[in-house]
Amino acid sequence: MFASLSRELSFLAKDRGALFWLALAFVLSAVAVSFGIGEVREQRATIATLIEEDAADRANALESHEDWGSAGYYAFHLTYAPPSDFAFAAMGQRDSTPWKHRVRMLALEGQIHEADTRNADFGLVGRFDFAFLAASIAPLLLILLLYDLRASERIARRHDLLVATAGSSLQLWLPRALVRVTALALLLLIPLWGAALLERTSASVIVQASAIVVSALLVWWLIVELASRIDASPSVLLTSLIGVWLALAIVVPAISKAVIEANNPVPDGGEILLLQRETVNDAWDLPKEATMEPFIEEHPEWSEYATIEEGFEWKWYYAFQQVGDQKAAPLVQQYREARLSRDAQAGIAALLSPTSLVERAFERLAGTDAGSMIAYEDQVRDFHAKLKAFHYPLMFPDEDYDPSLLLKLPRYEPAS
Amino acid sequence: MSGIARIAREEWRLWLRSKIVVAAALIVGVLLAATSVLTINRVAAEQEQRLQQQIAAEQTFFAQPDRHPHRMVHYGHYAFRRPPPLAVFEPGVDAVTGQSIFLEGHRQNTAMFADTKAAADLGGFAALTPASLYQVLLPLLLIVLGHAMLLRERESGTLAVMLAQGQSGANLALGKAIALLAVIAIFMIPLIAVAAYSVGLGENALTAFSLVGGYFAYLCIWGAVVLAASIILKQRAVSLGALIFVWLFAALIVPRLAINASSAAIDAPGKIESDLVMLAEQRKLGDGHNAADPAFQVLQAEVLEQYGVETIEELPINWRGVVASYSEAELTDLLNEHAENRMRLEARQSRIFDLFALASPTIAIGSASRGLAGTDLATHHRFLRESETLRFNFVQSLNEVHANELDYAVDMNRNADAEAARRARVNAEAWQVLDEFRFTPDSAELRVNRSTLSLGMLAIWLLVAGGIVFLAARRVRL
Repeated sequence: MFASLSRELSFLAKDRGALFWLALAFVLSAVAVSFGIGEVREQRATIATLIEEDAADRANALESHEDWGSAGYYAFHLTYAPPSDFAFAAMGQRDSTPWKHRVRMLALEGQIHEADTRNADFGLVGRFDFAFLAASIAPLLLILLLYDLRASERIARRHDLLVATAGSSLQLWLPRALVRVTALALLLLIPLWGAALLERTSASVIVQASAIVVSALLVWWLIVELASRIDASPSVLLTSLIGVWLALAIVVPAISKAVIEANNPVPDGGEILLLQRETVNDAWDLPKEATMEPFIEEHPEWSEYATIEEGFEWKWYYAFQQVGDQKAAPLVQQYREARLSRDAQAGIAALLSPTSLVERAFERLAGTDAGSMIAYEDQVRDFHAKLKAFHYPLMFPDEDYDPSLLLKLPRYEPAS
Repeated sequence: MSGIARIAREEWRLWLRSKIVVAAALIVGVLLAATSVLTINRVAAEQEQRLQQQIAAEQTFFAQPDRHPHRMVHYGHYAFRRPPPLAVFEPGVDAVTGQSIFLEGHRQNTAMFADTKAAADLGGFAALTPASLYQVLLPLLLIVLGHAMLLRERESGTLAVMLAQGQSGANLALGKAIALLAVIAIFMIPLIAVAAYSVGLGENALTAFSLVGGYFAYLCIWGAVVLAASIILKQRAVSLGALIFVWLFAALIVPRLAINASSAAIDAPGKIESDLVMLAEQRKLGDGHNAADPAFQVLQAEVLEQYGVETIEELPINWRGVVASYSEAELTDLLNEHAENRMRLEARQSRIFDLFALASPTIAIGSASRGLAGTDLATHHRFLRESETLRFNFVQSLNEVHANELDYAVDMNRNADAEAARRARVNAEAWQVLDEFRFTPDSAELRVNRSTLSLGMLAIWLLVAGGIVFLAARRVRL
């Protein structure tokens, strides 16, 4: 076996076509991870700047107030999802879904859907990241490397002779293909491993990622192997294999996406906003009890402080902000669940398409999949709840205003 | 001449006999038809829905009861971007940006609820549109059909016979080119139909025609590249492999690398980042809600002098309304300055992206396509600008109502009791200050002008590719 492998290796070294595809794989992989690292570092730098400026801004905003209400009104808090140690390999949803917000005590539904995303062209065209390379380009390179192993020997009229001499067809083609697949896998993975060292990616993630790349290549190898048993000319084989790639990489995902989205309608986001806004705005004209009653249902602990006597009181103001969120909650829940079920079904549909499967698996490892983005939104919701839990006990019993207590304002901590 | 026609006819006869070619063409045809129908239906539904939502938002605004005018500033309004007629072919950035925006006093919000945020994630190619099929899939079909056009004659030995019969290489290539052109012409039919449909929806014929022309040129570039490969290369598999590499590079790799490059070259700050910078500046301006803020002392002195009175109570207008109007104008200047800066940087990123058209005609056609359809980044930026104008106008009109139609003493007393609050309201007729908003595409000339660079790039590509075919065809030897 070893002898045949080293023989095939020396054959490969003389096959200029194959060397070209292998070199291309290496270059593309190196380029993809370099850009990925650059982007991730830029995002980290942005977050570091934002944390600093946000703290300065909040300190400034909290300087000159005399009551808890205006302190809550003017203090914004940065929330963010830092890129993971593997995000350089798969930017995923981070280009089209927001990963940073500044929220305050007001109704959250009016704030959390703000989309501070990058240039729209980025989300539209997509980045050249390692996930895209491994999912879509690598199979094409593999096809180009393997499709004419047999057919070229047929063309050269050596095929039957070779098979007869080798004894078993397995002994002949297996080492030849194995050398190429291994070379491709290594050349794709070496830049990834290098980048992982730089980014201090955890070993388990990188092992999983490598396993995904290798298994995807094995699946495609199997496809090529099955197809190349057909006794056809190399160009017909290549055409058919490209057709298979098209079907698996484009047609199946597109059909799955269309079907999943048709079967899982998402409530119109505008409705969430509209409902929340209408509730908050109507509250100004309604009797104060109409706000305080639904508020107390949610927060019975403040019932003894729920009588509003003045024309304007901050606790009433924040109560109707919260009631706005409460009113919109069922719709928000529907929106969230529709997103989750779309994602869950996409996960199942991806089993039909190796490219979708690889891309999704990478996004999951990198924490840039839909689930992670929703988890980030949940963290923002939790943080907003903490803000309210901090302010309500000061505001409702009308505790004396003491700015030093504001030093204990909850701080947003991203989940690691 | 009849020789050329016969060569073309013969090519077609061979294609029709080849199962793989017929199957490929049928699959692409079906995919194209299905995607077109689905996209037309989806976009047509959205066009109607957004219009209805826009009208509903206006009617709700008008229907608000008597109120304090500043309440209406915070009540706010919505702007919806209706997809342009050609979005049925090229939906462009609309899916990524979100199509509605909430407008209120003292804030510029972002467009929210982009389709992609709630989309089923199945990787980079799942979001098929007719435009993306034309850009990515049809070149591949041309490759499958044409990679061996001239090569085959060489392989089967008929090339020698034809050359011996006195056919020149150029004639031979011309015959093959005509055969391929006929394929391209057939596959242009769905696009022409969609373009005609969009003209029926009110699209300008000039842009629809330019779009068709742009895609025709794009496919011809690929046709020429394919033909050139089949003339220059001597082996079928090599020709196919080389062409697939070119396709891989031009259609899949370069566009995404161009995104990486433009993102790395120019760091456009996000909204939160520029907002934070702005907030620090804004604090110097004072808070529009608090008319006693020291930052308004200068304004106060000026206004008092203008009306020749000593105190703000003596003013014939409501001082709080004056302050609201003044601070909104100042703040908007700041907001716009930062927003313009962000948009300028994004536009520069897009220009870098467009320059990569030198390496890939797919980028050129993509940009031209979005530009002509009115679904490009520039149109999104115009939507942001126009909705901002809408916002500023209704907020300032309400502030004017606040200054002129609400007595200062009544206004200051508004929180005393229910009756005082009731008196601090203005008649709901005042809400008519809101302008009607109907987002329309840029004029046809403007869109064509904006796409000149990309269309020019396509022309250069066509010239170069055509030139190579011409030179190669003249040198056809055995």
